[in-house]
Amino acid sequence: MPPQLDAGAARLRQLQRDLQNHLLGAPSPIADAIADAPPLSVADRLGIYRNAYRVRLIEALDDTYPVLHAVLGDEVFAALGGEFVAAHPSVHRSIRWYGRELAEFLRLHPPYAEQPILAELALLEWTLAEVFDAADAEPMPRSALSAVDASAWSELTFEFHPSLRRLHFHWNTAAVWQAMSREETPPDPLCAEHPVPWLLWRQDLQNYFRSMPADEAGALDLALSGDDFAGICAALAEWLPDDEIPLRAAGLLGTWADSGIIVGIG
Amino acid sequence: MMKLAGFGLGLRTPHYEALLNEPHAIDWLEIITENYLVPGGKPLDYLERIRERFPVVMHGVSLSIGSTDPIDTDYLAGVRALAARIEPHWISDHLCWTGIDGRNLHDLLPLPYTEEALALVVARVGQIQDALGRQILLENVSSYLAFHESEMSEWEFLREVAARADCAILLDINNIYVSSVNHGFDALTYLQAIPADRVRQFHLAGHSDLGGHLIDTHDHPIVEPVWNLYRAAVAQFGAVPTMIERDDNIPALGELVAELQIARGLQRAAISGQRDAAAA
Repeated sequence: MPPQLDAGAARLRQLQRDLQNHLLGAPSPIADAIADAPPLSVADRLGIYRNAYRVRLIEALDDTYPVLHAVLGDEVFAALGGEFVAAHPSVHRSIRWYGRELAEFLRLHPPYAEQPILAELALLEWTLAEVFDAADAEPMPRSALSAVDASAWSELTFEFHPSLRRLHFHWNTAAVWQAMSREETPPDPLCAEHPVPWLLWRQDLQNYFRSMPADEAGALDLALSGDDFAGICAALAEWLPDDEIPLRAAGLLGTWADSGIIVGIG
Repeated sequence: MMKLAGFGLGLRTPHYEALLNEPHAIDWLEIITENYLVPGGKPLDYLERIRERFPVVMHGVSLSIGSTDPIDTDYLAGVRALAARIEPHWISDHLCWTGIDGRNLHDLLPLPYTEEALALVVARVGQIQDALGRQILLENVSSYLAFHESEMSEWEFLREVAARADCAILLDINNIYVSSVNHGFDALTYLQAIPADRVRQFHLAGHSDLGGHLIDTHDHPIVEPVWNLYRAAVAQFGAVPTMIERDDNIPALGELVAELQIARGLQRAAISGQRDAAAA
């Protein structure tokens, strides 16, 4: 809340609150404050703003969730957008950040909740948007890793690119997304026996994503949480015989370096 | 404030490659500030490359200068950091408010034109100019409603804000026209009330005609009455840097450059017409 307002500013604040409440769909006496003059009625004048608010935010959702839009079709997407906008006023200076809660909204609200892949699709699209304009960082080439002295390896920790995101999908969400974004017929929704780990990142300004085997996901998650190379190798024992671990760990690091997701070592 | 001259366009994503790879008769570009208040990636990468080729100005949509909420210092810090990075010739936003209680309605909402609102806006412009370390430009918005309690016209309000807060004006010619139709005032009266020494930039744009009233949609070519008003504005204010905003139904860059050529021709004619009249 602002500090003490004088009477004039308090009156202006009430007027702004009344108009804002109206635009957000709440009861408001704002119509009494609007000049009634041609060529439009007061109701029409307010209607222009109220409609613009709703349309603009649904357009913002459309920008972020084009595949979800394509999967649902225009009519259902517009209905979903209207429900979401009514439930979630924007608190962001840039409309770019509007709509983060859409995946959660889909997960919780019927009829969308009956198709759990919808929430996963929304999560994928939101995350791709985050990957797209996350902070920049200079990737560390594989050669820089190779140059590290052998004695230093066990305590080595890794810093990752700010665009890196980790997700799990229960459904064939990425395959559906890929087909839809290529305007191909998507596969039928299919639920996996176990959730599949996914890695999303940006390299040379392009977004990428791929699924990971369980041992890679385990190793990466440990590395992301700051564990050192020795800890990562120890964790790989869950999936591999001891004699295969060093080669696998080195292979994973090489793959990560080639993907541009390692930006520093410590 | 550095000198910027000529004719510009609003920078829009579909034109990034054409701007970088083809020659076009464009003197400068205006960016929507908020589109680049992101941590990194393609938007800022393109912007960095584009600003090496074109002078740039920053145009915000959520400063909310007329809001009764406290000034959003995080937003302002973001604007300041972006300005330090891309060195715009100037920074503008709108004479409006966009929300209170931390909400953003993502619209350019009109103020009541009262002494109280004037005092609030003047004080806030002062704080913002201090925080940014530079004079800002404020733009007149298109509006669809007016408040009973207004004590002065929009043009008197704008003029007073500029004079008392010592800020500059971005005059949107289309917005004057749209509002003149929606509120039934004379657009020339508006123009004539604005002091020439405050006007740094013109906006031109198309709108949608809904039969009886107009909506500022920026999705059509500029219409004849707006070109006529532009002629009058050039006659009054001179060769003010002019640009076209297009936000929807965005055509190929060449089409907007052709529309910009119309503005060039009108400005040349209006100014040489004045010279001829002065010489006669």
